[in-house]
Amino acid sequence: MSPRLETEHLYKVFGRRPDDAVERLRQGAGREELRAGGTTAAVIDASFQVEPGEIFVVMGLSGSGKSTLLRMLNGLSEPTAGHVRFDGQDLTSLPDPALRELRSRKISMVFQHFALFPHRSVRDNAAYGLYVQGVPRAERDRRADEALALCGLAGWEKSWPDELSGGMQQRVGLARALATDADLLLMDESFSALDPLIRRDMQDQLLELQKSLKKTIVFITHDLNEAMRLGDRIAMMRDGRIVQVGTAQEILVHPADDYVASFTKDVDRSRVLTAAAVMDTEVRGDEADCDCETATPHTPFTELCAISARVAHPVAVVDRDDTLVGVVPRHRLVGFLGDEQGDPTPCRPRGGKVAAGA
Amino acid sequence: MPRIHFGDWVETAVDWVQSHLTWVFDIVNAVLDGMYSGVESVLGGGEPLLLAGILAVIAAWLRGLLPGVLAFAGLALIDSLGLWDDAMDTLSLVLVAAVITVVLALPLGVWAARSRRVSAQLRPVLDVMQTMPAFIYLIPGVMFFGVGTTPGLLATIIFAMPPGVRMTELGIRQVDGELVEAAEAFGTTPRDILLRVQLPLALPTIMAGVNQVIMLALSMVVIGGMAGAGGLGEQVYSAITQLKVGLAAESGVAVVILAMYLDRMTGALGERVSPLGRRAAAKVSALVGRARFAHYRPAGAVAVVGVVVLALVAGGLNLAGSGDAEAGSSTDVGKGKRISIGYIPWDEGTATTYLWKELLEQRGYETDVKQLDPGPLYSGVARGDLDFQTDAWLPTTHKAYWDKYGSQLEDLGSWYGPTSLELTVPSYVKGIDSLADLKGQGKRFGGKIIGIEASAGMMGTLNSKVLKAYGLEGEYKVVSSSTSSMLAELDRSIKKREPVVVTLWSPHWAYGKYDLKKLQDPEGAWGEGEQIHTVARKGFSADDPVAAQWLKDFKLTEKQLTGLENAIREAGQGHEQDGVRSWLKKNPGLVDRLAPVPGSGAGKQGKDAGKTVDMGYFPWDEAIASTYLWQNILEDRGYKPTLKQLDPGPLYSSLAQGQMDVQLDSWLPTTHKAYMDKYGSQLEDLGSWYGPTSLELTVPSYVKGIDSLADLKGQGKRFGGKIIGIEASAGMMGTLNSKVLKAYGLEGEYKVVSSSTSSMLAELDRSIKKREPVVVTLWSPHWAYGKYDLKKLQDPEGAWGKGERIHMVGKKTFSQDFPEFSGWLKNFKLTEEQLASLEVAIQKGGAGNEKASARQWLDAQPGLEDKLAPVS
Repeated sequence: MSPRLETEHLYKVFGRRPDDAVERLRQGAGREELRAGGTTAAVIDASFQVEPGEIFVVMGLSGSGKSTLLRMLNGLSEPTAGHVRFDGQDLTSLPDPALRELRSRKISMVFQHFALFPHRSVRDNAAYGLYVQGVPRAERDRRADEALALCGLAGWEKSWPDELSGGMQQRVGLARALATDADLLLMDESFSALDPLIRRDMQDQLLELQKSLKKTIVFITHDLNEAMRLGDRIAMMRDGRIVQVGTAQEILVHPADDYVASFTKDVDRSRVLTAAAVMDTEVRGDEADCDCETATPHTPFTELCAISARVAHPVAVVDRDDTLVGVVPRHRLVGFLGDEQGDPTPCRPRGGKVAAGA
Repeated sequence: MPRIHFGDWVETAVDWVQSHLTWVFDIVNAVLDGMYSGVESVLGGGEPLLLAGILAVIAAWLRGLLPGVLAFAGLALIDSLGLWDDAMDTLSLVLVAAVITVVLALPLGVWAARSRRVSAQLRPVLDVMQTMPAFIYLIPGVMFFGVGTTPGLLATIIFAMPPGVRMTELGIRQVDGELVEAAEAFGTTPRDILLRVQLPLALPTIMAGVNQVIMLALSMVVIGGMAGAGGLGEQVYSAITQLKVGLAAESGVAVVILAMYLDRMTGALGERVSPLGRRAAAKVSALVGRARFAHYRPAGAVAVVGVVVLALVAGGLNLAGSGDAEAGSSTDVGKGKRISIGYIPWDEGTATTYLWKELLEQRGYETDVKQLDPGPLYSGVARGDLDFQTDAWLPTTHKAYWDKYGSQLEDLGSWYGPTSLELTVPSYVKGIDSLADLKGQGKRFGGKIIGIEASAGMMGTLNSKVLKAYGLEGEYKVVSSSTSSMLAELDRSIKKREPVVVTLWSPHWAYGKYDLKKLQDPEGAWGEGEQIHTVARKGFSADDPVAAQWLKDFKLTEKQLTGLENAIREAGQGHEQDGVRSWLKKNPGLVDRLAPVPGSGAGKQGKDAGKTVDMGYFPWDEAIASTYLWQNILEDRGYKPTLKQLDPGPLYSSLAQGQMDVQLDSWLPTTHKAYMDKYGSQLEDLGSWYGPTSLELTVPSYVKGIDSLADLKGQGKRFGGKIIGIEASAGMMGTLNSKVLKAYGLEGEYKVVSSSTSSMLAELDRSIKKREPVVVTLWSPHWAYGKYDLKKLQDPEGAWGKGERIHMVGKKTFSQDFPEFSGWLKNFKLTEEQLASLEVAIQKGGAGNEKASARQWLDAQPGLEDKLAPVS
């Protein structure tokens, strides 16, 4: 299957003589170096692929270039160098009208501060993309109402945006993006402006919707917990560069550098890790031969702990064919929580040195 | 530091533009004026209360019932103040200016919002438009577009534009960038982003800008009144310049009512047109709930029906009103020809302008009058936008304008004069009677002389001559302000009985209102008095010879002028013409005399009406006086007199040959003895109308010790050995040389310089000014005795001979040819006072105005005409 969205050595430089700057970046010049010359490199050499139906999260702190990257994906911002391919079509070579057509039908966007039109009702806001496409009023109202219902806003169609709470407003934003049946959803820190409880609700709702809709989603966030919760894969951005792309577990377990590692410290590992990450694939015993409870590689860490508490021996992890793929000894569970991967050492007699954690 | 001649460049540019780009101005003028007349004819056409009703319905629709009622009350108040027409003029100006401004400002604002570069370049231009004093482009506006609505509109557009542009730019820039991005992200085209997102969201700000545009336009339209834009501005302006605070306040109230109406309506309109505004309004009305009735607003349809019904009624009334067109009459000289008169809001200007407006309208002309500042007025007349103005103070006060525009103007002569300029103090300021008395009293007056507009000619004279002549420089500072401020200051000071010295001129109503003292000017530093001229555009007398002749013959005495001014002041502001009418009623026959209908003759016709009378005269004062007097009388009686000026010799011979009919200045038996001896048999003596006359030598009375001809002996050196004579051909010159000098033994010691009567008088005048001794030949009656303080030298020897009588001499068949006229002449008599005043009147009127001066004098003598030329 070919990727839905693909970027290839994407650069975005603001300031004078951007092409020269790109050339210097290619030759290894740093971001600071360029800034001294008055140019700002927002995105440097970004290459990644997003598969159909995947939630691809771009995670980075503010100023890391993630929003600029997102805007290059639908042509709102023109790349200084490199290519963006959507369904194999190079966006960078598209003329403006074709680009607008693409945006109105295939790619939609959800904004951080909702960006609802205050002079349009909720229904008209949700129907905006269809209005731009030129869909007749009756049909666009119907489809807008469907999208609103999908986002849990049935009955609010005739309200005005300023009458809704923040979470509801963002649902309108989401409904607006969904109403066009676009294949690609770009979400720019869409939940960052919401308070934590609402944000969680929205994340749940997005995941719920995604189960049935199977959209391709690029989600921007600065919150790693959110990234891990939503992302099938996560791209870590720092200073305009993508430093690591991988699943949540890959990033958590094998951070590419100290910068990424420093982020992962704050992550609630028990919510992210699954049996696959914890299990010892080399230990082969008779653990699966008994009739005790087993886990699958996808079993979340917390559930794994529960199973481990119920069985007397290490938990067997089996795949769909009931083949044993690994075992999880209890000390591994504890070790993962404490980020300690070594085997336990034997006891030492009293009076000797106490081994502290490494 | 080199002087940069920026002002010169501007003037050169203005001149160039004026001469090369007229067509552009004509187009602009046509468009603006056309729009204005269109709107004005709609707003100004209807019945005031009906139109007020329409405006009130609009108010009710936009804002509710109560505002509608208030709007009606306010507009009705304007009508009751008698300012309705002016208010509608102003409203039309504001609407036209605002529409044009918005049409220009919106795209500019959008453009500026989309391009930083445009915005940056536009900003200084807007600054200039907003802060450059309006007069600076108002006056060139008059030069380019002429007096009228266009310069006012243009100035208004320039002044009102910046907030429109700025608020549009601001409004669009204020639209949340994320919203624009959202629209882009959904593939909206740039045009739709502007129309569907940016403009709707910027609309409240833009409407605030439109509101500002309208309010600024209103304030500017008031200033435009000075350039002839008319409306309330003109009312305010003219009231203020005449210190009529009450009237100014009335006009001001009308302006305020209009302002409030326009402000509230545009505010409500902003709510109506902007979706956000509608949302806000809906919220408020949902909250209010109670007092529904007060917040009732007719639906759009109801409002439209109301407006249409009222408009139809108004239109119907209008049609009915215009049905009774004025019937033409025998006095319809103008046949609807339009004459525009401009005036400076000085009393005599207002008075005569409205007098002529009334006269011209009675004669079938259409007139419109415009009040202007002198600059726009002169340029308006020079450009031909105005036909004439009656208040040109020449040669001093309006010298600058005359120098600039004189070549494009026609001087129709003076109707009043001489005027005088002076410094004036309230009469309670004791000890200050002359300019010389001011010296050393600077402290008393705070070292200030309250002046008028710095541009006035008299201010220049004051600074450059008067202060110098009396050594007041340094001690006094001339504060230049405006005429109205000066009068306000005078009023204030008099109320507090504070000493004050102001610049003033005669005639001025202030002399009637306050007890003032003109400071004498022994040094003559103010120069001679001026004449008030009527000045027309070039070609006026060719286009309209009849009206031009009326204006050329126009004269008013001081009594008439003050009477007229008082009548106008009594009638009150806005009713000037009523004042004129009541004054004319008190002066029966004046209309026919000021504006005689050609061919019909004024008043009663003589028996021989239509006959041509050829009258000859030589340029002696009494001859001129009596001949022009009779010319007027004969014309009134339907005769067609022609006047010819000749020397005595040719005159007598042409009478003898019958080529001339009559002359009125035959000095007999001495002076004209030679002619009578020669032609007497071919002439008819019609008797004497004045006598006895006397001939004499005369000295100014300051020449002490010379009271008699005998006293001249041995004093030759004092007089430079000269006796200033008149024309060598005059009989008295012969008598002087052959008899008088001999009789008193003055031969050899004195030389009689023969020149001309006018040179003799000039020499007399010059000598008197310098207080030099002089002796001249003179005769009685002569106006010089009235003007100067002179001493006739006694003639104990009787050398001059007996006094003469002034006879009228006709051709041989005169009595047969003109039985009626000869009958009048045989009874013709003038007293010395009558003759002297007639001569003074003619002398004051100046050369070329003799007929009008005589007319004026005749009009001032009630019943005289019927006595001199009775018609049964």
